Amino acid sequence: MVLAAGELQAPYFTLSLILAGVYISLALAWDFSSGLTGYVNFGLPFFFGLGAFATGYLDYHGVHAVPELLAADFAVGLGGGLLFALPTLRLRGPYFTFLSLLLPLIGTDVVLAYWVPLGLPTVGYYNLPFLAPTGLGSLLIVTGLNGLWLTLLLWLRETHFGLVLRGIRDDEEALEAQGLRSFPYKVVAFALSNGIVGVAGGVYAMTTTFAGIDAFGFLFLLFPILIAILGGPGEIVGCIGAGFAVILLSQYLDLVMGPFTLILFSGLALVLVLFLPGGFRGLWRWVAS
Amino acid sequence: MGGLMTDDLLRVENVDKSFGGHRVLESISWRLQGSAVALVGPNGAGKTTLLNIVAGHLRPDRGRVWFRGMDVTGGPPWRSVRSGLVKTFQQVRPFPNLTVEEHVRLFSRVRGTIDTDHVLQITGLEPFRDRRAAGLPFGILKRIELAKALAVRPTLLLLDEPIAGLSSGEARDLLTTLHNLKKGGTRMLIVEHRLLETLAFVDEVVALDAGHLIFHGPPDRFFEDPTVRDAYLGGVDARN
Repeated sequence: MVLAAGELQAPYFTLSLILAGVYISLALAWDFSSGLTGYVNFGLPFFFGLGAFATGYLDYHGVHAVPELLAADFAVGLGGGLLFALPTLRLRGPYFTFLSLLLPLIGTDVVLAYWVPLGLPTVGYYNLPFLAPTGLGSLLIVTGLNGLWLTLLLWLRETHFGLVLRGIRDDEEALEAQGLRSFPYKVVAFALSNGIVGVAGGVYAMTTTFAGIDAFGFLFLLFPILIAILGGPGEIVGCIGAGFAVILLSQYLDLVMGPFTLILFSGLALVLVLFLPGGFRGLWRWVAS
Repeated sequence: MGGLMTDDLLRVENVDKSFGGHRVLESISWRLQGSAVALVGPNGAGKTTLLNIVAGHLRPDRGRVWFRGMDVTGGPPWRSVRSGLVKTFQQVRPFPNLTVEEHVRLFSRVRGTIDTDHVLQITGLEPFRDRRAAGLPFGILKRIELAKALAVRPTLLLLDEPIAGLSSGEARDLLTTLHNLKKGGTRMLIVEHRLLETLAFVDEVVALDAGHLIFHGPPDRFFEDPTVRDAYLGGVDARN
């Protein structure tokens, strides 16, 4: 699917699991900010690309330690998310979604138009450090990070902060009418979420050893949202099972169906939104009731 | 906010409001005195508009609203709430995916912290605490509306038709709850159509008709007032 550039360090199946982990990180982050609040963020690939390019930039400037690179990716994603959220999250409904949709296009255009003229490496950074010396090591790091995100986000979901985010999704106007200003909560959730996305971008760059324009790609939007919906919007934990199911299936189908896989998954997204908006959790609740 | 200091809890001064050229309120001035006050009037009298202006949901065309000496005219609502003016909605607005307990917890930090269990207990919602609001009966949703407001620790509770749509038994139960709150020191302003049930419980009545204030006094004088009987009730004794 997306494992294209760079030197492959591990067997295909291990790489598929790492890739599933990267998408699960994205889905967890998206589900926390968009699934909980109902503010649909289509800017995911922008912050993903930002993390990947931050890794490349820092590596080219002498920072090679993985923990430092990942911490920087988090800071870049968080800061970028904050800068975008502060003006745009004052908007409601489709306006925010529309602006977020423009972000990946801006990222792509900036790279295409200004990267080479600025004297930077041709359309991206090559030969980036591996996440770990072995494929299994990389998989363990990705799994550990996802464990950390899952624990953090599930804990936050149950705090008063998470409760406010869920209240925003249900009726933001009623929330504000009763004295709670939604804006700061939305901004913090959005920034944190994009910090996680930035780290995922760095992990991806250090798995493919390349940070290029593909990091701003549409797949980094389609699959995370598909996974989050399938896992049950706002449920967070559902992203884990749904992530492995979607990505491993897509990897397999990619081998046997080639480019038709994307059409198939786009169709699946349509069916899900129409008939199963609550994902597996919604289906389970419906069956149980 | 900030400005003129007065001893009044709530004071409305020369408030005018029009919608699309239609004058809904005209020169309304009034000081809240009682601990439970009914704001009554027929449909279109302007009582919900006045309540929304007091709560900061609407800005008057003219005039000011003072709450605890602070100018709260025109809101925003969250700022009015933080000063202690808390309104319930006429149309219930629950958060469908939150449990009853979460409704209270959600607002429990707006003005200090409150005891969630206590609010659930006094509103009779304890048996429903773990139920999600989606699918709960209307009478329970009305109680949730009240619980949400109490979670903010209101200085003045603004109740927009709290017993509208309830059966007589449910209304009696809710009025008992309100009566207990009143005894506990909670002050409230109630907009309500069901006159007899409401007047039995309040100690001050403000009546509007076609945007004008036509009566302000104790409930026992309400039906005796010739202006109310002639203009507001068409001369018919409402108790009959």
